[in-house]
Amino acid sequence: MHSCCDQSDTPQSPTGTLTVALAGNPNSGKTTIFNALTGLRQKVANYPGVTVEKKTGRCKLNATSTDGGRWIDIVDLPGTYSLISRSPDEHVAMEVLRGLRPDTPAPDVVVVVIDASNLQRNLYLVSQLIELGRPLVVALNMMDVAERRGIHVSVDALIRELGVPVIPVVGHKRHGINELKDAIAKAKVAPLPDFPLPEAMKEELMIVGGGLAILDSGLGVRDSGSGSNPPNPESRIPSPEKLGKTTTPRAWICLDDGTRRLDRYQALAERLLIGDTAGDLAEIAKREPVVSLLSSASTRMSRLGIDPMQADIEAHYRWIEGVSSRTTKSLDELAAMGVRPPRSEVIDYESPKKRSVSDRIDAVLIHKVWGLAIFALIMATLFVTIFWLAAPIMDGINTAIGSAGAWVGSHLPDGPIKDLVTDGIFKGVGAVIVFVPQIALLFFFLAILEDSGYLARAAFLMDRLLAKVGLHGKSFIPLLSSFACAIPGIMATRTIENRKDRLATILVAPFMSCSARLPVYTLLIGTFFAAYGAITQAGIMLACYALGIIAAAGMAWIFKRSLMKGGPSSFILELPTYKLPQASQVARHVWSNTLAFLTKAGTIIFCLSVILWAMTYYPRLPQATQRHIKAPFQAQLQLLQPKVTNGVLPPDHFIFDEAERKKVIDETKSLEQEAVASEQLRYSIAGRMGHVLEPVIKPLGYDWKMGIGLVGAFAAREVFVSTMAITYGAGSEDQTQPLSQAMQNDRYANGKPVWSPLVAVSLLVWFVLAMQCMSTLAIVRRETGGWKWPMFMLAYMNVLAYVVALGVFQIGRIWFA
Amino acid sequence: MQKACDLSGCNHCGSPETCSLNRLGIGCRGCVVAVGGDSELRRRLLEMGFCNGASVEVVRRAPLGDPIEFRLRGYLLSLRDEQAKFVQIAMA
Repeated sequence: MHSCCDQSDTPQSPTGTLTVALAGNPNSGKTTIFNALTGLRQKVANYPGVTVEKKTGRCKLNATSTDGGRWIDIVDLPGTYSLISRSPDEHVAMEVLRGLRPDTPAPDVVVVVIDASNLQRNLYLVSQLIELGRPLVVALNMMDVAERRGIHVSVDALIRELGVPVIPVVGHKRHGINELKDAIAKAKVAPLPDFPLPEAMKEELMIVGGGLAILDSGLGVRDSGSGSNPPNPESRIPSPEKLGKTTTPRAWICLDDGTRRLDRYQALAERLLIGDTAGDLAEIAKREPVVSLLSSASTRMSRLGIDPMQADIEAHYRWIEGVSSRTTKSLDELAAMGVRPPRSEVIDYESPKKRSVSDRIDAVLIHKVWGLAIFALIMATLFVTIFWLAAPIMDGINTAIGSAGAWVGSHLPDGPIKDLVTDGIFKGVGAVIVFVPQIALLFFFLAILEDSGYLARAAFLMDRLLAKVGLHGKSFIPLLSSFACAIPGIMATRTIENRKDRLATILVAPFMSCSARLPVYTLLIGTFFAAYGAITQAGIMLACYALGIIAAAGMAWIFKRSLMKGGPSSFILELPTYKLPQASQVARHVWSNTLAFLTKAGTIIFCLSVILWAMTYYPRLPQATQRHIKAPFQAQLQLLQPKVTNGVLPPDHFIFDEAERKKVIDETKSLEQEAVASEQLRYSIAGRMGHVLEPVIKPLGYDWKMGIGLVGAFAAREVFVSTMAITYGAGSEDQTQPLSQAMQNDRYANGKPVWSPLVAVSLLVWFVLAMQCMSTLAIVRRETGGWKWPMFMLAYMNVLAYVVALGVFQIGRIWFA
Repeated sequence: MQKACDLSGCNHCGSPETCSLNRLGIGCRGCVVAVGGDSELRRRLLEMGFCNGASVEVVRRAPLGDPIEFRLRGYLLSLRDEQAKFVQIAMA
């Protein structure tokens, strides 16, 4: 009866590759199917202009099929519940499926993965894909889960109902993958079902469709005739001919099938009336005659109490309910028909008495007491892992790269090239790789939590807490991770689907006191509050963490009421069935995210750290100045040379012990080096920036030396400590004792001490609140797809830090005066 | 008139015939009769299956009181109180 739709249904061109779009609901197991299909032939990139990840892969059709040996390109679309988009992810999926993205070819075949244990909601997307009119294959996943719940889905019945191939698959066992490939080669357009729309709406579709047909020629002529518009096919209002090719080919062709008149103008009218206008219809929906046509139709329908959007969705679900009742049987029904239930352990899902395994797990994991206790335990494990367990690995990486740099350096002649290689390039590489342990470990946890289904529960548990400041339950893990490091924390925000919630979380994550701030806190508190006792010191440390949390909560609250306003962020969270995470999927997740960090953010971090190195290296001290600094040390070294006469040390020599003498020589030499390094740093661009910054940071109580420290801290906050040590010419990075003393003894020209507990508090406030980490900016750029948000973050955090530190210092000065 | 629901813990319903989903007691079931809210929220709720008199069961509330977990069309999802209030329920 749908024979009119069958021409040019199957993918035609026998040569070249076939483009397949893989669609499906979130949690439908789509990624597992994608991995099973493509193996390691995968690529992860970004869709240009948006921050949605584009996953593509290739596979070869089975040699036995008619198209044997042909390659297919598979685009793994973001998980979507619907084609009518709200989130950027869903928008991209819709655009790819409609063939509206210039960067992605329109798919020849759509494979939709559906969860058999959650058939009705998954069929909603299928019903929309059927309307889309592209050749379709259904991959029926999680039959085993359904059967454990006492639901049997009949594949044959589903094929009859949908009119397209339905292939049962088990992704991680690779069951059904070959059959799926065969089906792709034979995919065909599904017949358009008779969605039971209200009669009044069908009539309106005819009226509006007729109106659109009349308007069409006029619209088309005016558009193509206007000379001012360049002939840009993407921005042009689509004429039905163009729509016919790129969007809903079949819906245009199918005419009267006896039950529902649907020509192309009526299909267009339907999309316009239900508000499905994103993408190709965005322009046409704004045209004056179209707007008035639609508004009069809407008025007529609202008088009858019909909302087109609701009527459309309900019609789809009514059809789905029919399909679902004809294709699923409870195992009891099967048993009554004499069919043996495939599994012995059968639980009736609808009966509240008998609960599925998932329900029984939930009874514990979302329990008022146990649930929170287990949650705390899991989060503590996660935190301890990335905070402490990663530390020795990170130290090991630093040491290894340091010695590799030293080894390479030892083969180079002294000079700028050697310094560039050892201090610039190798340290730059180190600055990137040092994040890998934390990122890999965090994504290991995230993969397990997400694949098992616990991540949604964690969000469910924590949502109340975060909703108060306008964030999302899923913001919890990113924010917690940011206490170790904001880089993995910001990467973990990918689990937040809502873009506004995600952006707000990214923008406040760096307020969490990361492990790189700890050495700075320790130095400042240890130096200036040692006299106040351990309790005070611990209290100040705690206050730093608390200040960060308060700032994050406050700024999130402000952002959600200003920048990210517009509708309440909907918290519609599916709680998927618990599943055992698959080791291969977890490994893949860790690998792809780590690799993405290295390639996308790593290059920026590397470049910035080389630039920062150059800023502390150039310009070089003039030789004369160097000699001048070295002179007193050289004189001392001269004195230390023994004036041996006739093999006997002169009795008046002030050092008699040879070991002692060597020690003094070494010390003098290292003091000489420190003095040169200190003068070199002060002479460099960074050092001069300290002086340039001094008038700006003076009101906060900082001098130019602290200014140099702040410039250095941009590489990573803990670099503040070593930069200060070099500036003061006070020992190595490992020992803070000489630095502490140098800081305490430092005096302005008028004899007043440079440092005081108040200056330290002001600096602590700065370090809690300021954005001075290039790696964070690099990752924000990667995650938001441009420099706009990282620059905004840099500006607002530093303004906030400046204002608060200024307030603390100035009020404190009056207070203590 | 019939009581909204005979399970314990469900005496919050204002009206015996219908009440909003967030006032339904834990363990209670009802049928969706209407969905309100702004068009974006409404569309999402409808698309997730809150339509056509679908049967909804309140499974539990989160330990901190919000959000609420529901069973709908054979799957579980959670809504915040402020969203659940837009779904009107009639006792089955």
